[in-house]
Amino acid sequence: MPHVLILPLLLIALGVFLALLLRRAPLTNPQAGWLLAVFPFAAFLTLLIAYGQAHPQTFSVPWMPALGLNFSLYLDGLSALFGLIITGIGTLVVIYTGYYFDGAHASEHLQHANRKSAITNHQSSIETRFFAYILLFMLAMLGLVLAGDLITLFVFWEGTSITSFLLISYKYKDEAARKGAFKSLFITGGGGIALLAGFLFVIHLSGGADFQTVLASREILTTSPLYPVLFSLIALGAFTKSAQFPAHIWLPEAMTAPTPASAFLHSATMVKAGIYLLARLNPALGNTDLWFWTLSLIGLTTMLVGAYLGAKQNDLKPLLAYSTVSQLGVLVALIGQDTEIAFKALVISILAHALYKSALFMSAGIIDHETGTRDLRKLGGLLRQMPILFGIMGIAGLSMAGLPPLFGFLAKETLLASATHPSLPAVISTVFPLTTVLAGALILFQAAILVWGTFLAPPADPKHPAHGHDPKPGFWLPPALPALLSLLIGVTPVEPAFLANFLAEAAKAAYGDKVKVSLALWTGINVPLILSLVAVSLGLALFWQRNRLRPALMALLPNLTVNALFDGTLRGLDRLSKTATRLQGGKLRVYLSIMVLSLGGLLVLFNGLPFGFVLEHQSLNLTGLNVLRLFALLMLAASALLSVFLRRDLHAILAVGVVGLAVAVWMALEPAPDVALVQVVVDILSTVILILSLTLIPRALRLRAMEFTHKQSRPGLVRDALVAGLAGLVMMAVTLTALETRPRLSVVTPFYAENAKPLTGAKDIVGAIVVDFRAADTMMEILVFALAGLGIYTLLHYATRKAGVHSREASAPDLPPHTPLGVHNLPTSPLLHVLAYAVLPLAFVLGITHMMYGHDQPGDGFTAGVIISLAIALWYMLFGYYETRRKLAWLNRNTMIAVGLTLAVLNALGGLAFGGGLLAPVDYGKMLGLPLPPGFALTNSFLFEVAICLTVMGAATLILDNLGHPREDDPEAEAELDAIGER
Amino acid sequence: MTVLPPLLLPLLGVPLTLFLRKKRKIQSALALTLMLAALGATLALLATVLTTGEPVTVQLGRWPAPFGITLTADPLAVFMLLMAHLVLAAGFVYAAGSTEKVVQYPTFYPLFLALATGLTGAFLTGDLFTLFVFAEVIVISGAALTAMADDRYGVEAAYKYFYISTLASAFFLLGIGSLHVSYGTLNLADLATRIAENPSAPLTMAGLAFLTATFLIKGAVFPFHFWQPDFHAAAPTAVSAMLSSLVVKVGVYGLLRLTTLLFAGQTGLLPSVLVVLGVVGVIYGGFGAAGTHNAKRMLAYSTLAQIGFMLVGIGWGTPLSLAAALVFTFNHALVKAAMLMLAGAMASRAAVKSASFEVVVGVGKYHPFAGVLFLLGGLALAGVPPLNGFISKLLIFWSGVQAAQYLPLAVIGVASLVTLVYVVRSFVKIWFEANPEAKPKAGDRLWAPAFLIALSLGLGLWSQPLVALAQYVTDWLGDPSLYILSILR
Repeated sequence: MPHVLILPLLLIALGVFLALLLRRAPLTNPQAGWLLAVFPFAAFLTLLIAYGQAHPQTFSVPWMPALGLNFSLYLDGLSALFGLIITGIGTLVVIYTGYYFDGAHASEHLQHANRKSAITNHQSSIETRFFAYILLFMLAMLGLVLAGDLITLFVFWEGTSITSFLLISYKYKDEAARKGAFKSLFITGGGGIALLAGFLFVIHLSGGADFQTVLASREILTTSPLYPVLFSLIALGAFTKSAQFPAHIWLPEAMTAPTPASAFLHSATMVKAGIYLLARLNPALGNTDLWFWTLSLIGLTTMLVGAYLGAKQNDLKPLLAYSTVSQLGVLVALIGQDTEIAFKALVISILAHALYKSALFMSAGIIDHETGTRDLRKLGGLLRQMPILFGIMGIAGLSMAGLPPLFGFLAKETLLASATHPSLPAVISTVFPLTTVLAGALILFQAAILVWGTFLAPPADPKHPAHGHDPKPGFWLPPALPALLSLLIGVTPVEPAFLANFLAEAAKAAYGDKVKVSLALWTGINVPLILSLVAVSLGLALFWQRNRLRPALMALLPNLTVNALFDGTLRGLDRLSKTATRLQGGKLRVYLSIMVLSLGGLLVLFNGLPFGFVLEHQSLNLTGLNVLRLFALLMLAASALLSVFLRRDLHAILAVGVVGLAVAVWMALEPAPDVALVQVVVDILSTVILILSLTLIPRALRLRAMEFTHKQSRPGLVRDALVAGLAGLVMMAVTLTALETRPRLSVVTPFYAENAKPLTGAKDIVGAIVVDFRAADTMMEILVFALAGLGIYTLLHYATRKAGVHSREASAPDLPPHTPLGVHNLPTSPLLHVLAYAVLPLAFVLGITHMMYGHDQPGDGFTAGVIISLAIALWYMLFGYYETRRKLAWLNRNTMIAVGLTLAVLNALGGLAFGGGLLAPVDYGKMLGLPLPPGFALTNSFLFEVAICLTVMGAATLILDNLGHPREDDPEAEAELDAIGER
Repeated sequence: MTVLPPLLLPLLGVPLTLFLRKKRKIQSALALTLMLAALGATLALLATVLTTGEPVTVQLGRWPAPFGITLTADPLAVFMLLMAHLVLAAGFVYAAGSTEKVVQYPTFYPLFLALATGLTGAFLTGDLFTLFVFAEVIVISGAALTAMADDRYGVEAAYKYFYISTLASAFFLLGIGSLHVSYGTLNLADLATRIAENPSAPLTMAGLAFLTATFLIKGAVFPFHFWQPDFHAAAPTAVSAMLSSLVVKVGVYGLLRLTTLLFAGQTGLLPSVLVVLGVVGVIYGGFGAAGTHNAKRMLAYSTLAQIGFMLVGIGWGTPLSLAAALVFTFNHALVKAAMLMLAGAMASRAAVKSASFEVVVGVGKYHPFAGVLFLLGGLALAGVPPLNGFISKLLIFWSGVQAAQYLPLAVIGVASLVTLVYVVRSFVKIWFEANPEAKPKAGDRLWAPAFLIALSLGLGLWSQPLVALAQYVTDWLGDPSLYILSILR
């Protein structure tokens, strides 16, 4: 039953959910701990059963079949070893957690919880968040070692990084915790990215992600030219995770995590993820020179650095952390070897280390919990007060020191045996034993000062000795069990065969071949034993001289740290970031220049500049250039230049207006009367809008803006001129080419010419294109127009008013009500009023004819709308805002836009209902048999024109109205704004 | 006909909500209803396309292509549409629960619906000029919405955006003009056929350059990105979430159409340019995001980087890398919208309404749920499993390995570490650091980001549907004649 493999993960996931549910439960932390420990323990048992049933066994369900990826699990000796360590120690850690957060030590957490409960209204002191995190981590870690393929493994791998981040930053009010958490995530996360890339190379080469495929692809992988790349990437991932030099720097800082997390993640499990990975992949990637040298050198360096740095520490947790670093180095170096004995040493060391280190960590937490300090300089003489703990730490410490009859002794013996293996190449064969002996001595020294300094030495400060006593049994039981196991495995007279077999299986999976594992402590007098004796005596000698050695060690190379590397990386990142944001200088002129130049770059790169074509076809054909055209052309060029060089904004705007009119003249001569007409009305409208907007800007601001626009250094001027000149040149070339190559008739023109009249009833194909063939474009363009109106309206009516921008000074002329007021609130001439009264109806008549006959002649709903709006603009100018609003009460602009747009959409749908397609032409007049004037047809094109006209009128008057709106007081708008502000 | 409802529903909403401008609650309810209906219609459209295996095409006015305007929901369009309407629906939900003043202006919903219309239309149209018009709809509504934002820099940002967009419009028109002069048609399918027949017309490559520049501006790709950080940071939160997640994708979509349809096989240096600009964008955006002091601005810069990943995928041009770019596009939309909403929601809970880190520091203390969402979203951005961002990263890396593009791969790999740095830093700032001035305060509702993050998590845990869909689209894109035949029968 392969599904049993998924059970351990499900059980722990269940634990996570239960932990979250416990928020409101009336339990104490220890009770919660015992309750939740059931889940990892059940997972432990399930794993045992599953392993007993069959190994190796796999479980696989399709996860992303699109890419052939599965979610798969794999259980063999190696994953079982790790899985059992994770769930076994996990069970103890969860129990331990409950007690750790119990009582005095938890007071600060309690405070925090209480403060939180003030908001969430519940009374609970259970550290649900911690329980959930640690179980979540366990889930990720267990998934990592049980994963049956690289991608599944990676998913869980990243999961451990994230949960580790959450656990380290658990006491997030502490800055050190935040920094430590960030550092660990940065380093392991960076390694994770490398690892993913490395995995993808492996998958790419071996053709599958599952371990069976990968492990069978040794030949392809190791002989590939990509092998160095993928090996380095994977090694980077493993080394960062397993705190190998120089990435070890995150581990000591991770000790800001609560001790249960340190004990679990940062000694027993997570840091071994890299070890697991290397061991797992050894059969596929190992046994190459690169593998051997990299792993050996990095591992040995790390071993030595960790041992040395640990010997300098005063705080129990960093001391243990560095000894962990050292141990991890040992494991890496072992995986690098290609000898059976090395893998025997590997599995024994993994188990031995997990047992003694978790016991020591948890004990350190108890000491901290009971005495309030972990500093060796304050501790001492606790033997009488805490005899049980002394027993636990003593045993675990002996195991760490590698002394008989503890399990740790066996680990060290096998390690030395593999260090002195005859097959080692020249340099390593001396370096390996040497460093091992030296590191062994230092580790022994560490273990000794740990136990001695805490329990046996006289209190460092006799006046304030550390106080404490043995805690409740539930608290010391979790560390006691692994310590006891370390002892039992060592002293048991009969070799526990099941354990030896189990370890042999694990070693076999990592080595790729059979490994013989015996757990006998005594193997006779041989080289390893002698070396061991040397190491022990050296260690004892060091310990004897501790009072001289420790200060010397601390004085020696006080700044020996590669943290500078990390800090430097981050500083470099920040500096680059500043540079990146500085590019964003805020000057539109610069932005536009860069974009125009970049476009030029693209044109060059794509070989898109038609200069060659222009040079070939430089026929200066002047036929058709008559006086009028010449005039229009000169006017165009002159006014365009003027618009750039005129210094007053109003003049420049007028010049721009002239440019538009000159274009219109040119169009009219082309002849393109439709376009010319639209150009004229749009040009007038936009000039009016621009001038009106000028009046909104205070004079002083306008002057400053003008000054700023024209202030330019000489190089700047040259640069701008160059950019503009280049852009102009490109435009000229493109235009010339377009004119030369354009076919007289485009592909679509004959169709339009043929079908305009019969199918749409339009004599004018421009009209037919606008409202029939390409009606959707027109519909969207009037939407754009409407949106512009609405945007300007909202901006001026609400947004700037809210910001308190009052640009125009209030002037209250003393005049009777309803006096028509023009510009600057001056009364206007009655003669002009007559003009206005006359123009508006005229504009309406003109507009309506435009709409009715737009299909056949120049003019359409758009021009109609603009013309009427311009007439209304005249009213605004002559009568002033209030008078116009009063006199033209029907002019409800927003509604007009809404009606126009609705009509446009409904009209389009009318085509769907009656004409067979959205926007299809329908002649309602003919359909209903209406008597209509000749030349006019009640088609949906006409209705569309009306819709366009209404929308444009609404939007144009909305713009004109708001730009010409007196700003000093508007009770209506103020009331609306107040209503918005209140909510 | 199923192609119409996703477009017509928001379009009709513009005037309808304008009629209802005085009744704000009904207005907002109507807008939301319409958008949800449009989402439903999009799903129906997707189902139709998938079941028939054919695009759904409508010739507007029943004018045969290429004479009229074609709307076509081909697999790519429908893919983008699904992304757009999922996120848009969330955006309208967010707006309904927003405490910003801007959402209460009578024209907010008409403009917002117009933005939705523009986006929908841009993806659905089969006509180059109509694409231009829909892009204009997007520009004007986006600019108006940002100009009226509560943020006092809104006007400046909108002004710059509008100015630069005008430049983009000019480029767009030049591109359209160059192609129209050379080939006499505007229909995408027709243009593609004619360009393939005669790729060496004098203005063909000029047209490609103009259109490329246009879409690079639309997609805010370095060095055409200058409008983006200000604009996305200053826009009202509900809108900014759409701008940074969807509107820039119009550029990505345009580039996809250029490389796989219009100029398929004739792209010259365009793919290399895309890879280079993508890599530069990934670096620049990443560092820019790490260097800002404002959460919304950080996320805006992050979009620069994320778009870079998509460009790299498009540039590599292998089936897997295109699928990766599509998956990236989709996932990024969900996550970025959610993250901007969360940043805005935290800003709305700060003492002064601002997403500046100085102001929002420590605000998260009273909002742990938002913190969970933000952390998840941030991890998704950084491509950490089990979130959808991981799938994006996995695919893009994988396609890089397959295509043997080691240098770009190395650069984007390192740059994705920078993503992790800035998202974690901002999370730590808002949720972990202490700020005595932070007080419990109600703010924008969290429904919309919660929905999007849930979707991101769901698509991270079970990404098969999305990846399969992206592969389906990629297969379709692999053969431009399929598109052409579906329109010019």
